[in-house]
Amino acid sequence: MSVYIKRFVCMIVFAAGLIGILTASSFVFAPKNNMPQFGMEEVSANGILGERENSIDVLVLGDSEAYSSISPMQIFKDTGFTSYVCATAGQPLDYTVVMLHRAFEKQSPKIVILETDAIYRKISAKNAVISRLSAYFSIFRYHDRWKKLSWNDFKGTSNFTWTDDFKGYKYNAKVDGCTKTDHMQPTKTAAEIPARNIKYVKEIKEFCDANGAKLVFLSTPSTVNWNYPRHNGIEALASDLGCEYVDLNLMNDKVGIDWGKDTRDKGDHLNHAGAVKVTAFLSRYLKEKDLFTDHRQDNAFATWQRALKNYEAAVK
Amino acid sequence: MLSFSSYFSVQYIFIFFPVVLVLYAVFPQKIRRIVLLLASFSFFWAVSGKLIIFMLLSIIGIHHAGLWISSLQKDCAHILETAQKGEKKQIKAYYQKKQRSAAAFCVAIHIGILLVLKYTPFFSVNINTLLEALNLPQVRIPAFALPIGISFYTMQAVSYIFDVYRQKISADRNMMRLALFMSFFPQLMEGPICRYNETAHRLWEAPKLQFHNFSLGMQRILFGVMKKVVIADRLNLFIKTVFTGYADYHGLTIAVAAVCYTIQLYMDFSGTMDLVIGTAQIFGIRLPENFRRPFFSKTISEFWQRWHITLGAWFKDYIFYPLSMSKPLKKLSSRARRRVGNHFGPLAAGSIALFCVWIANGLWHGAGWHYIFFGMYHFALILAGNIIEPAAARLTKFLHIRRTHFLWRCFQIVRTAILVCIGELFFRAHGLRAGLAMFKKIITDFSLDSQNIQSLFSLGMDKHDFLIAAIGVLIIFVISLLQENRIAVREQIARRGLIIRFSVCYALIMFIIIFGAYGTGYVPVDPIYATF
Repeated sequence: MSVYIKRFVCMIVFAAGLIGILTASSFVFAPKNNMPQFGMEEVSANGILGERENSIDVLVLGDSEAYSSISPMQIFKDTGFTSYVCATAGQPLDYTVVMLHRAFEKQSPKIVILETDAIYRKISAKNAVISRLSAYFSIFRYHDRWKKLSWNDFKGTSNFTWTDDFKGYKYNAKVDGCTKTDHMQPTKTAAEIPARNIKYVKEIKEFCDANGAKLVFLSTPSTVNWNYPRHNGIEALASDLGCEYVDLNLMNDKVGIDWGKDTRDKGDHLNHAGAVKVTAFLSRYLKEKDLFTDHRQDNAFATWQRALKNYEAAVK
Repeated sequence: MLSFSSYFSVQYIFIFFPVVLVLYAVFPQKIRRIVLLLASFSFFWAVSGKLIIFMLLSIIGIHHAGLWISSLQKDCAHILETAQKGEKKQIKAYYQKKQRSAAAFCVAIHIGILLVLKYTPFFSVNINTLLEALNLPQVRIPAFALPIGISFYTMQAVSYIFDVYRQKISADRNMMRLALFMSFFPQLMEGPICRYNETAHRLWEAPKLQFHNFSLGMQRILFGVMKKVVIADRLNLFIKTVFTGYADYHGLTIAVAAVCYTIQLYMDFSGTMDLVIGTAQIFGIRLPENFRRPFFSKTISEFWQRWHITLGAWFKDYIFYPLSMSKPLKKLSSRARRRVGNHFGPLAAGSIALFCVWIANGLWHGAGWHYIFFGMYHFALILAGNIIEPAAARLTKFLHIRRTHFLWRCFQIVRTAILVCIGELFFRAHGLRAGLAMFKKIITDFSLDSQNIQSLFSLGMDKHDFLIAAIGVLIIFVISLLQENRIAVREQIARRGLIIRFSVCYALIMFIIIFGAYGTGYVPVDPIYATF
């Protein structure tokens, strides 16, 4: 055997061995339950893993704007539709893709709402590569769990049992109003979306299409993070991809945000009062779609009724 | 368009380097050197964009200056062949002066550009402080973007000119070869500072890729990544917290942070050097080593012969020796020798040259008073070491201490390490005032009570983080100890069977993947020396 073939075979054997080690260690390092004590990151967003199979109608993805503005329990109360907010603070689109894939492992939502603030968030190349690698070998995402590994991690199988009563929504009633409300000054300028982010959005769209879900872009009200150039940028992207785009910043007549009362941090994020208004709009919007059935009387959704009681007691 | 900030960026490791490697492997020798040159320019462009113009000007400048000096040398030699005996001295002096002017002109332009781009804000701020004190109007403080590696390639350019002037090397007619020597991409950001006669011809040779070199080079790269990602970047969380808010912490925390920073700096810089030298080795190029286990040094002088070796050698060859050998200092030395004896006489003259070296060393690291203090601190330690050496020798003899004894050597090593840590505290501090305040806290507010020790684990690193950093340091220590005893670890591994070799590689890769400071909760840390 020539020396070149021998070396080539060595390299293949080495690569195969490495893949084997990575697969085995990924099994060990992946959290065995979706609770914080098992090492799960972003617990409330990952609460969707504990939901009953095919029980979610609408999936919401995005960053803090999404989990501050949309309350799934409010939608359930108003319409009987089930939704889950898989949003995390400062969520970059590479993680949005991860959350999308995770959610679709057990769920088949008909509508996927992508809050648009995340589309403008720059993603470092390093994080993008690590996210890609994590999709195949979860050790790249959970490597820091070496501090908390237990014997169970070496022998146990994954069993996600926990879910969030607020379904990913983060309640905050603090009021810190803002006076600057002219953030949507009309212009023809469009804010540029980073090329890497466009690729991710296209990937999300293709995934939704392949799984029979409709992708909707939603810009929730924010005087700090949103403006007309960004609106124009997303509108162009939505038109390119054939997605529906709803910008609540231009629809305040229908939403009714009072910037003096409905924000918790001077217009950056909505507080609970603001979230109730946005959610009310969203409930009407989803009803108009005529895609979903009302689950409020369905015994299979008894856990949602219990969660609703807990939610109402907490936000009272 | 590629854009990256360090050799540890994903674009460099997963795109740039593999693409260059494949192109290098597939092309014949004459094209390979062009591949390296184009890759080096692309690298510069990806990091510094249009500032590549400074590098190009430098290449053109030293090429022309080298040929100019060389032609003067040839003219001189030619004329001397036919000159009368009495005229020779005069002709030599005339051409010597011309050569010196040509070399000085080129060096002045290089150093001038470096001074303007790197030090203008520093000098302007200090001039403004002076003007403010005199109630005079202040000057505007300009800010310039620095081309990547300017401090490193400027030194290479100056060494080339000096070496041509001293006739140590012949001026290179091939501008492309000179360009590759100046811009070879693995060494561009953090050195090592190479000499023309060490690397230029080997680079231009563009040797064929060898599997043995590839294997050893990859091992060294992995080892460097381990030092940087597992140890240096993990320690950064703690160091940043303490150095930023030092006023809130007691002496023990600051002392631990100073030690951690010294370890971080070593792991960061030597890890990058492993990556740089490993990369060059893959191409069949042997770059000079920049570190030789510096923490086994018994004195500060020895430390600087083992730490950033190529910088120290540069200062020695192009500042210390020319100054020591200059007429005024020679005169001073012989006069002092007559008055204060053979030990202190030459020391007096040598200390002036040493002072210049350490001022330059401090300033080279950065434009700030704390860097100058850092240089002066090491100057004072080296000078003091030289002055007290005879007395120390007498004292140890009197106390019957064998200076070659293991325990005495351990004492010397620990003492040197402590002195280095104090220097690095000032080096890392946000300014000289902060450095002095931190040092004062170590002296006046130091306590080993359990509450203070516990509080160390709440400043960005918990017990597990400290443990893994300590294990990493222990691994490096064991390897260094083996190397110190002349055991070539990589070569030893390379001689073993496939299973052992694979196991070592797997262990190293998994150690980096599991214990590396990357992903959620970690901020990527650019190599520290890339900013100098």
